[in-house]
Amino acid sequence: MAENPDNKIDEEIERLTGMVRDEAILAQQDRIQKEVEDSNALVSERLPLLILKEEYQSDPIYSKKIEDMNASFPYIRKTRGDGNCFFRAFGFAYMEKLLSDKAELHRFKEIIEKSKDTLISLGCPSFTLMDFHDTFMEVVNQLEEKPSLSELVATYCDQGMSDYLVVYLRLLTSLELQKEAEFYQNFVEGNRTVKEFCSQEVEPMYKESDHIHIIALTSYLGVGVRVVYLDRGENQKVNHHDFPEGMPPQIALLYRPGHYDVLYGD
Amino acid sequence: MFRNHLARETDSPYQGGVFSLNINFPTDYPFKPPKVSFTTKIYHPNINTNGSICLDILRAQWSPALTISKVLLSICSLLTDPNPDDPLVPEIARIYKTDRARYNKLALEWTRKYAAGDGGN
Repeated sequence: MAENPDNKIDEEIERLTGMVRDEAILAQQDRIQKEVEDSNALVSERLPLLILKEEYQSDPIYSKKIEDMNASFPYIRKTRGDGNCFFRAFGFAYMEKLLSDKAELHRFKEIIEKSKDTLISLGCPSFTLMDFHDTFMEVVNQLEEKPSLSELVATYCDQGMSDYLVVYLRLLTSLELQKEAEFYQNFVEGNRTVKEFCSQEVEPMYKESDHIHIIALTSYLGVGVRVVYLDRGENQKVNHHDFPEGMPPQIALLYRPGHYDVLYGD
Repeated sequence: MFRNHLARETDSPYQGGVFSLNINFPTDYPFKPPKVSFTTKIYHPNINTNGSICLDILRAQWSPALTISKVLLSICSLLTDPNPDDPLVPEIARIYKTDRARYNKLALEWTRKYAAGDGGN
C-alpha cells in the first residue's frame, strides 16, 4: 500500500490543508462557489444580447453567431453559473410567462398540486417534501396576484427562496424520470439505474443539467422550450433545438457550453 | 450542533456499541449537507480517526429532500456494509478485504473499548 501514489497525494493534501482529501476538495469547491456568488446575481436584469460580444471580442465565430442570434433574440437575462442555471433560467422564464397567461397558470397549478402525492409515492420523504412543495406553491399562488416583474426578479434573487424553487424543479425532473424509467433508462450513461441517476445527477443541488434533465422536466410540465446553442461549431448561424420534441416553444434559453441563460424575442 | 447516539442492534462487530455523532448544520442547509462525524472512536474503513465519514449522501450526493433520519439509516448500513473500494482508511480497507476475521476481531475490540455505552462516552 505504501507505494500507492494516491496515498502520497492524500498525505500531501493533509499536510498542506490539515484536511483529508475529500474534505479539502469540498472546501475548495466552497471557495470557488463563493467567488462565483460574489460576481454574479442569481438572475440579472433584462439586457441587450449584444453585450455578449464584449465577452468574445477576439472571437470571430462567436461574434458572428451573436449577431445572427440578435435578429431573433435581442435580449438576454443572465443567470448565475452555479450548476443550477438550467433550473433557475427555466423557472424564471416560465413564471415570467405565467404573469400574463392565466389559462397556462391554471394548468401549471394543477400539475404542481398533483406532483406532491406522486413524489411521496416514489419514496420522497414527505416531511421535507412538504416544505419544498408548499414554498413552491406559495410562489405560484402569488403569480395569480400578478406581481410586478421586479418582484419576480427579487424572488429569484433571494438565495434561500430561489434555491427552494430550484429544489422543487429538480424533484419534478426526478419524478418524471422515475415515472417513465423504462423510457429514460436508454439515455442514462454509466451502467446506472434511473433511480441511481436521479440521486446522483438530478436531486443534488449544483449538479449541471444535460439533455435528459431538460427532456424530463419539459415533458412532465408540458412546457415547450427552445434552446439556442452558441458554440464553436464552424457554421455562421446558431442552431436551436426544441424540447420536448415537436412542442411549440413558450420560452427560449441560450446554451453556451456548461451554462444556460434566458433569451427574449421581444 | 447536536449529538446523536447510534445504538447498534444488528449482527456486526459494532453490535451493542453506542456511538456518538456530532451533526452540524451549515448556514446553507438544506442545500448543503449536514456535517456529520463520529465522536466515538470506531474501527471502520470509511471512518477515520477524526470521525470523518466517507458517505456519498454526505458529500456529492446530498439531496435537500433527504432527512436526518435517512442519513442516520445510511450510516447504520455503512457500519453493516463497509465500502472498502472507496476507503478513508486504506489500511483498514485492506484488512477488511484480505482478512475478514481479523477485521471483525479488531472492530469488536474497539467497540468494547470505546463504545461500551455505560457512560464511557
